[in-house]
Amino acid sequence: MDKLKFYVAMAAAKLSAVGLRLLGRNASYLPGLIAVTICKNFIGHLEKPETLICVTGTNGKTTTSNLLNTVLTNSGEKVTNNSFGSNVQGGVAAALLLNSTFTGKHKNRIAVLEVDERSSLLVYPFMAPDYLICNNIMRDSIKRNAHTDFISHIINSAVPATTKVVLNADDIIGAQLCPQCEKKVFFGVDALPPAKTEGMKARDIVYCPKCGGRLEAEYLRYNHIGRWRCADCDFASPERDYLVTDVDKAAGTFTVAHEGEAHTFKLVNDNIVNIYNFCGAVALLREIGIPYETIETAFQDTELVKTRYDHIEAGKLRITRILAKGQNPVAVSRTFSYTAKCPGDKKCLLLIIDDKEDNVRNVESTCWLYDLDYTPLKDPTVDCIIFAGKRCKDHVLRAAMSGVDLSKIITTDTVKNCSALVDTQKYQDIYLLFENYWLDEALAEEKRLVERGESGT
Amino acid sequence: MTIEVLFAEVCNLCGDAQNAEYLRQTLPDAELIFTPLTDTPYFVGHTPDMIYMGNMSEQIQRRVIGALRPYKDRLQTLIDGGTVMLFTGNAGETLMKHISYVTEKIELDGLGIIDLTVKTDWFKRYNGKTLGKCGDLDVLGFRSQFSMVYGDNAGNAFLKVERGIGLNPESRLEGVRMNNLFCTALLGPILPNNPLFTEYLISLTGQTAKAAFRPQAMDAYEQRLKEFRDPKTEF
Ligand SMILES: [Zn+2]
Repeated sequence: MDKLKFYVAMAAAKLSAVGLRLLGRNASYLPGLIAVTICKNFIGHLEKPETLICVTGTNGKTTTSNLLNTVLTNSGEKVTNNSFGSNVQGGVAAALLLNSTFTGKHKNRIAVLEVDERSSLLVYPFMAPDYLICNNIMRDSIKRNAHTDFISHIINSAVPATTKVVLNADDIIGAQLCPQCEKKVFFGVDALPPAKTEGMKARDIVYCPKCGGRLEAEYLRYNHIGRWRCADCDFASPERDYLVTDVDKAAGTFTVAHEGEAHTFKLVNDNIVNIYNFCGAVALLREIGIPYETIETAFQDTELVKTRYDHIEAGKLRITRILAKGQNPVAVSRTFSYTAKCPGDKKCLLLIIDDKEDNVRNVESTCWLYDLDYTPLKDPTVDCIIFAGKRCKDHVLRAAMSGVDLSKIITTDTVKNCSALVDTQKYQDIYLLFENYWLDEALAEEKRLVERGESGT
Repeated sequence: MTIEVLFAEVCNLCGDAQNAEYLRQTLPDAELIFTPLTDTPYFVGHTPDMIYMGNMSEQIQRRVIGALRPYKDRLQTLIDGGTVMLFTGNAGETLMKHISYVTEKIELDGLGIIDLTVKTDWFKRYNGKTLGKCGDLDVLGFRSQFSMVYGDNAGNAFLKVERGIGLNPESRLEGVRMNNLFCTALLGPILPNNPLFTEYLISLTGQTAKAAFRPQAMDAYEQRLKEFRDPKTEF
């Protein structure tokens, strides 16, 4: 009966994919949703690719998945992936079924699937990953992800003991994931000057998970990412199997040491969160046997996806557009901090970071703004801040509470044409920070700025 | 003016830490005492003017109950004596009779100061908004919770709900007010989001103060109040 349901689901899903393609639409999610709606165990009926790699964690999933895809594709593999689709159950099912025959035979040798943490229970029990990489577990959307205990519980309940997990040793929460798994590999970053330890509030772990004693930080980079040990027992951050030992921003390289060997790669982006993503990707690729040379070559051709980061020079204007994942206080804090350190001694920041959906016939919960660190906006190089969106008044209050000079702030409650508020005669370094779902609008504002830059208006 | 902030290092989920910061900015001369979970609370040997505790994870909540249990009578005395207390999110649940952690299969008695019970289920997340009246004041805020509270708060509710839910989806009365103790499931920036309530809370200590960044806070509050009252806004 279940097998019959599977075939019905497969037929309906494949048909819908054909239909979507005829309509010129991306078959990234709907066929998968149809399949799992008809047959709950749909993923379980599919043949597993020879190597199934899943990517999860609060921040860095997409960057890591894209990087793994690029390197594997460069090495000659055809990779099943959901990078252009969705990372929830439907998106995972869609990626798998579109690369399977009608009977469920998988066509490619390798799959790299980005899996939303909350979808763990709907994916891993049905198709056991051979490898699971988790970049970090930290505060995320309050509405959906609640807290790190909850997310860790879901992942731990779902991942089979046979999976080899690749974990960030510098994330004391993520490093404890999957106690049921024997095969574990840890990565981390040793080289950069450590961030200061004071003034960091949004920490998701304070007490030792083993004895309840107080954890002491050797150093912290951001939030709880750093090196820890317990004051009362032997609990400490795990040793790192793959370690970034050097980051040379001037030369644009970083070096990873593993078992006495050191290899240098192109530094695709120098944001600390991405250095962790890159190191994790190198660790995973090595674990599945990809030679260092292949990884090095592929990194040479890699850039961050343009939808997430772009830099354009137009006339006198230098316009940088950076993704700031909304309702995710850690991700946006990192983007604020990164932007403050970016080039330009008189910057104008245009911020489109409110939730798009939650402000339609609804009022977005602003709780996350109170976990978001606005203090980088006080940086003397940040001369003008434009908050565009329904919650602009809330941003003003939060910025005021963080000591940001209110005379620097301009607000508008509409996103459309918000770039008109940028004084391009006064500001040449313009940073457009945008929430994912505002991508089209952000691109439109970027285009307007480029036109103004080119025409000198 | 002395304000004790209980266990801020762990009771700070959902932006709740900024309530203490807003009090600090509103009362620049007040002394804020941040008591970590491993220390004896200041209120045990002293009488602070105000006690604040914010939202936390379930694991921490159980530890907090353990930490506060020896001081149940002292807390009761302070409540009876009129000490101002604000417990946001699931902090107030620690004072209730019993908590059933459905997912984790744990049953635990709270301090029993409040005659209500709690059911916490990790697979039933409730996200919502509440607008209600505390006396003449319109108080509004956001909720994101795994727990619902059950029992009768008709005689001691914090808010008469105008929009949204009360203790649970069937209730129109939110939270608990006992003397000057306020427990509410509203979480996150309840004080910056409600500058008038902030001023009212402070007035209960016998002092007067203008909410920090009052013009900006009132601007945001009045806009939100309008949005919450808009019939097109879904609850
Ligand atoms: Zn310990």
